[in-house]
Amino acid sequence: MAVSWVERVASFLRSPSRFLASTTAEVFLVELLREQRDERVTYDVKLTMLSPLCEHPTLLCPSACTGEETCLELMSVFSHCPPKYTEFRCQLLLTLTTVLVSTGCVSAHSHASRDFLELLLKLAQDTYYDPADVPSALRSTRAAACECLRELEACCPSLLSQHLELLNGLRQQENPRHHQALSGLYAVVLRNGVHLLARQAGAGPEGLKALLGGNAAVAWEAEPDSPALTDRAAPLPSVLGPSGLGPTLQTGPDCKELRSVLSSLLEESYLLTPLSQAALLHALTEVVAMVSGVSPAIFKAQLLRLLGTSKVCLFHCTLLMKAAFTDSLFSAEDEAFLLKRLVALCQHPQMSTAAQLFYTDCLVHFPENRPIGAADGGEALPVLLTPRLAASLVPTVFDEPATMLARLNVSALVHLEEHGAREGGAAGGGLAYLWEHLLLRLHVVEHGGDRAAVVTFFRASFLFLCHFGHVERHAADLRRRLCALYLRHCRLAPHVLNLADRAQDGPVRPGWAVALLRSLQGVAVSAGGDLAAVSQKDLHWHLRVLARVAEEGQIGQGSTVDFLFAVATAASPPSRNEDWRLGSDLLAVCRHLLAHPGLDALLCPLADVLQHVARHHGDTDVRDHARLYYSLLTALSREKLAGVLANGGGGANGGRQDNKRVLSAMVVESQDLTSALTIHKARTPVFHLVAKDRAGGWAEPTPAPEDDEAAAAGTEPGAPDADVLSSYRSQLLSSGAAAEIALSYELRHLDVGPAGFDRLFSLRLHFEPSAGRFAALADVCVPRLFREGASAAPPAVTLTLRPRAPYPGTLRCSAVFTAQDELTWHAALPDVHVAFRQLFKPLPVPASWGPALRLRAFERLWDEFCSDGDGGSVGEGGGGDASPDRACSLFCGRLGEAELEALLEEHFAPFRVADPGDATGHRVLLFIPPGSHVLLRIRPQEDAVQFHMATDNWRLLPHVNDFLLSVTDWEARNGVDS
Amino acid sequence: MSIRALWIITHEKGEHVSVRFSRRFPTVEYRAKSLAGSSYQAVPEDSAVLQLLLTELGLADPGKPYVAQRDDCLNQQRTPALELHVDSSAKGILWPVLVISRGPLILACLPLVEAGEPRPPLSSLLSVSQGLTLLEGLQSFLGGSEIKTDGDGLAPRLALMPSVLQQVCPLGTPLDVPQARAPSTAGVPAAAGSPRQPAWRTGQHRGRPAVNVALTETVRCMQYGDPSKQDLWDVYGTVTCKCDVEGVLPNVTVTLTLPPNGSPLQDILAHPCVTSLDSSILNASSVDDGDGSAFSGPYKFPFCPPLEPFKLCSYTSQVPVPPILGSYQLKQQQEVNHLRVSVNLKLHESVKNTFEYCEARLPFFNRVQMSIVDVKVSSGHLDVNKEKNLLVWVLGQKFPKSREVTMEGGIRFSGQLPGPVDPLCTDLTAYIKLYFKVPDLTLSGCSVDQHSVQVYSCAKPKIVTCRELQSKEYFIWNSTGPAPVSSGQMIL
Repeated sequence: MAVSWVERVASFLRSPSRFLASTTAEVFLVELLREQRDERVTYDVKLTMLSPLCEHPTLLCPSACTGEETCLELMSVFSHCPPKYTEFRCQLLLTLTTVLVSTGCVSAHSHASRDFLELLLKLAQDTYYDPADVPSALRSTRAAACECLRELEACCPSLLSQHLELLNGLRQQENPRHHQALSGLYAVVLRNGVHLLARQAGAGPEGLKALLGGNAAVAWEAEPDSPALTDRAAPLPSVLGPSGLGPTLQTGPDCKELRSVLSSLLEESYLLTPLSQAALLHALTEVVAMVSGVSPAIFKAQLLRLLGTSKVCLFHCTLLMKAAFTDSLFSAEDEAFLLKRLVALCQHPQMSTAAQLFYTDCLVHFPENRPIGAADGGEALPVLLTPRLAASLVPTVFDEPATMLARLNVSALVHLEEHGAREGGAAGGGLAYLWEHLLLRLHVVEHGGDRAAVVTFFRASFLFLCHFGHVERHAADLRRRLCALYLRHCRLAPHVLNLADRAQDGPVRPGWAVALLRSLQGVAVSAGGDLAAVSQKDLHWHLRVLARVAEEGQIGQGSTVDFLFAVATAASPPSRNEDWRLGSDLLAVCRHLLAHPGLDALLCPLADVLQHVARHHGDTDVRDHARLYYSLLTALSREKLAGVLANGGGGANGGRQDNKRVLSAMVVESQDLTSALTIHKARTPVFHLVAKDRAGGWAEPTPAPEDDEAAAAGTEPGAPDADVLSSYRSQLLSSGAAAEIALSYELRHLDVGPAGFDRLFSLRLHFEPSAGRFAALADVCVPRLFREGASAAPPAVTLTLRPRAPYPGTLRCSAVFTAQDELTWHAALPDVHVAFRQLFKPLPVPASWGPALRLRAFERLWDEFCSDGDGGSVGEGGGGDASPDRACSLFCGRLGEAELEALLEEHFAPFRVADPGDATGHRVLLFIPPGSHVLLRIRPQEDAVQFHMATDNWRLLPHVNDFLLSVTDWEARNGVDS
Repeated sequence: MSIRALWIITHEKGEHVSVRFSRRFPTVEYRAKSLAGSSYQAVPEDSAVLQLLLTELGLADPGKPYVAQRDDCLNQQRTPALELHVDSSAKGILWPVLVISRGPLILACLPLVEAGEPRPPLSSLLSVSQGLTLLEGLQSFLGGSEIKTDGDGLAPRLALMPSVLQQVCPLGTPLDVPQARAPSTAGVPAAAGSPRQPAWRTGQHRGRPAVNVALTETVRCMQYGDPSKQDLWDVYGTVTCKCDVEGVLPNVTVTLTLPPNGSPLQDILAHPCVTSLDSSILNASSVDDGDGSAFSGPYKFPFCPPLEPFKLCSYTSQVPVPPILGSYQLKQQQEVNHLRVSVNLKLHESVKNTFEYCEARLPFFNRVQMSIVDVKVSSGHLDVNKEKNLLVWVLGQKFPKSREVTMEGGIRFSGQLPGPVDPLCTDLTAYIKLYFKVPDLTLSGCSVDQHSVQVYSCAKPKIVTCRELQSKEYFIWNSTGPAPVSSGQMIL
């Protein structure tokens, strides 16, 4: 049983989440508490069983309520535990503190916390001493109680501030063997009390006096509403932050009580262990920093002892004091001494590596009396650090990596400080030494240094570049040497590329990385001369390098493509042609080349490479991908290609570091590609075409062809009537323009459309005319369509229709476009209806025909359509054959004169044929492509208007009738006789 | 000034890694959460922490030559504090994770940062130096540098960790470091009414009083035999004490003295039990030219001794000459695998010619095994190790009267097996490493006179003092090949 409990606890501590997967926290807690009460269980096991509560209290007691109950249980266990089981009793106190704090139970309303505080204070004061008893046990329990109180105060500041006087009394009692614990506790309570006091507006010496004299009764019942217990304060941050000092308490010079307390604490600080001493000194430093009335000189007596110490924490304490008090405690001489001491500690043979590193970090954050720069907490060298002092901190080849990097950093800073950051400052032995050191590290790497040596060299190189990237001599030399290194050890490619990436992203002078990559490209492609001599692995690295180089737009890729071609077509060894890995490496380079800005120049050779791989590679997968890339290269526009590749490549930055493109990338690519290359179907229309004008779009007057011949023939005023018609008909036949009508629309989003289509690009509209009414239309391209405010004019779309019959019709309409998700979509548009009136055109005659000629043509046509006779008189025109279709008709509408004028202006203006001789009648000539005419003579009568019609196509009459009905729009529908 | 969690991990060159002990401090975690606000990152479970730590330490995936997260050159680990990236967000960072790693043991802890954003500099956090002190204390408790992961040493010590931590770090605030030796049973608590007892002196000594003071000096050296390269050597000394004296707060004073013309002791560091230090003692520093104050002792260290042995103080010293001056010349003969060796070692006249041991080791790297060693030595005898890649020249207890010894001869390398590889020592870059120990000698001349040890106690204790000189990293580089220079003196 006992063993199983030890194992269970160990298993819980190893992974609480896994453990609790098989049981619940509630059950486990109940079991733990039950075992604590079981008398058969030994205290050793009980001790072990406290660990889960001690380390993961919030897992087992998720609520304050459970925490409270658990604490009450544990306190009852404590009361029943014999004093001789000290270790268990101490651990129980620690556990209780942990549970109370973690579950947020410390408040006046919690019985458990009140009882527990009372218990702790009682234990801390317990001066009971019986030699027969185990005195060390008593001491341990008391020390543990003090430690619990200290932690409670740290977590809930000012919890004990009412007890300072009591604690001070305990501290000063004769021979308290746990004075260390009491001193630590007192210092924390004092520090918190002063801190909270300093934060209060208007607090002064009286507040401080009250704080120090605070001596509340031990019994907590006496003051359940103690402010400390009621409003729980959050743990207080350090007041010695880098951003300056915290709040200060204005007390005036008279702080005798505080000074005497501080002096007595400082006097005895020597008796504390170094760790407790450092904590005490730090707390007191904070107190003095906050109380203006106490001079920092109070620490003076301790300084020499602290400066000479071998303990890191104590010397660090001195540095923190220096940061807090600067020249009010440390003279300029002291500062120089302290710095010298710090430099010596940075490389003292007795110091551990970690301590040396820490001191070196302190050196670049040295708290100067008169800081000049780096107030933001960044690294800066102290002014007093001379090259002479820093000479002992140069990196050596025997240093551990971290030490070497820290020293390289400091030495570089020293050199830059001394010689300035200019190129001219490249002189001096310091830089030469650091460069030599870097070369030594390189030498180690070149001669088979292990992985750690390689990583260290590249880190050192990066650091060197960060500091001395501007020194062209060394930057260029490093580049050359890295290339040489790569040539000898191709396996280091990922390190070299990583350095290039970081140099490019980081503070290294721009261009260095590109130059390095360019040189690497040279190294890699030079292997193409004798491919048979290149090992499979090296070839793999060359391709990796070239893939990275291909990401650089500034680097020409001609040689890369040549190399790829050489690799793709190399005959030997034949196994290479089967190698999937090699093939995919090669394709990875191609992939990057597809996205290269200089792709146009590479198109043919790259296509050759891809085609060759697609045909001849031994691996099906590689062949398929090559074919895919080939199709992409040859079929897609640059923009689309870039989009596809960007989608396939994952994040630009994250992707670079992963080897994603080698193996798994193919799958990723395929999925993304599928998505990118598929045309997705929008379920509902997204946008529609809206006719541009109110009436539904008059056809734009088609510019008449510059038919000089016809014009020359027709403009002759004296030409006979027959000639008018024949020349009209001949030019009608010869010019196709008359058969077209141009309709203007605007492309607009539908008011209610699907989401995700607010910004559309590259729209291609496609139209399908209904049932042979119109000739096939060309697709219309619109560059973009944004659903934005009215400010942006919607794109205009002009449809040029070539009717096959003079009747209204419908255009079925759809569009392919790119949405903002960069996917291509297909959507139907609402049908476009072409109304009868939209087919109207003026008489298609050359522009040179004057009104007189037009009138003559009207009269001749009228006569022809209304006559029953043969068409021979009209001439050789096609009209003669259509004689059976001719018809005349009359439409009457009830319109006033003004209404008629308005109607004519609105609907017939472009088609009127003026006759100066006839003031009362109006002539309108409608040409309806492909070749029909409707002529109207409109005569106002007394209370109506007569529309006399003549046409060469009687099938139009119903449409004309409908049209006239719609435009006259009167209620009484007069009979229409036809 | 507290730590949130502590881990003890063992590994064998990156393999067989396991968290052997871990401890979390939820009350400190409570404070961390409150102080950090939105930038708070909880401590993940041990297995996750382990993986993150190994990645940062470069130990994860030992089989893979390059892992981006592990080997990125942007990770400039220049401080003892690591950043663990718990998740990919900028907030999910545990910092500062202090790590000290030696041999198979990795100790790590996460100190509390008593400030919110922005992140304060490491040097402004007392919890960092506290954490380092605790970790170093735990390291020496667990066996110092001679730790075997599965040996007898570690497991029992690890088993003691819960009770040790209850003493030294009960609620995450380090109070002390564990004593490397088992808790002293000799200590008897003081009776009531006696003066205040130091927290680091947990009892009183009962028994025969005795004071042992041992002074050990270590000399390190780099000799190049090349006029263009400056030879380097330095000396540092440690005074170790074991004081069995009675009393609650006994007072002992140890005085170090130098010979009349001795150069001053520098960079003196004293144990915290030293009650007071004179400023003149601390003035001399190795990092500057010396201000000519030329205080040269006596160096008095008054202290109240702890019960266990302790390092009273340490110092460095600049001595004018190295104790043994050597020259080493390797010459490539006509045949590829044939080297001509010539060594000369000269013991300086000021050094006592009585060694506890003295030997010179000549390793040969990046070559196959030695086949024929045709080398003569003027004194001592020569051994070839089993692997046939190392010559050990045992000089014994004394140099000859002339204080000069030589080695001459030729070595052929035509064995079957390749020898050890060292990327630094290629071609003719080679060294001799000297190992020696001289009893009753210090190079600085520093000594502790038995009669100068003062003990203020009722019983007169037996006082024993001793001193010795030992070598460490004592290199003599082959002067015919390039040698790595490692001195800041080059800059000046």
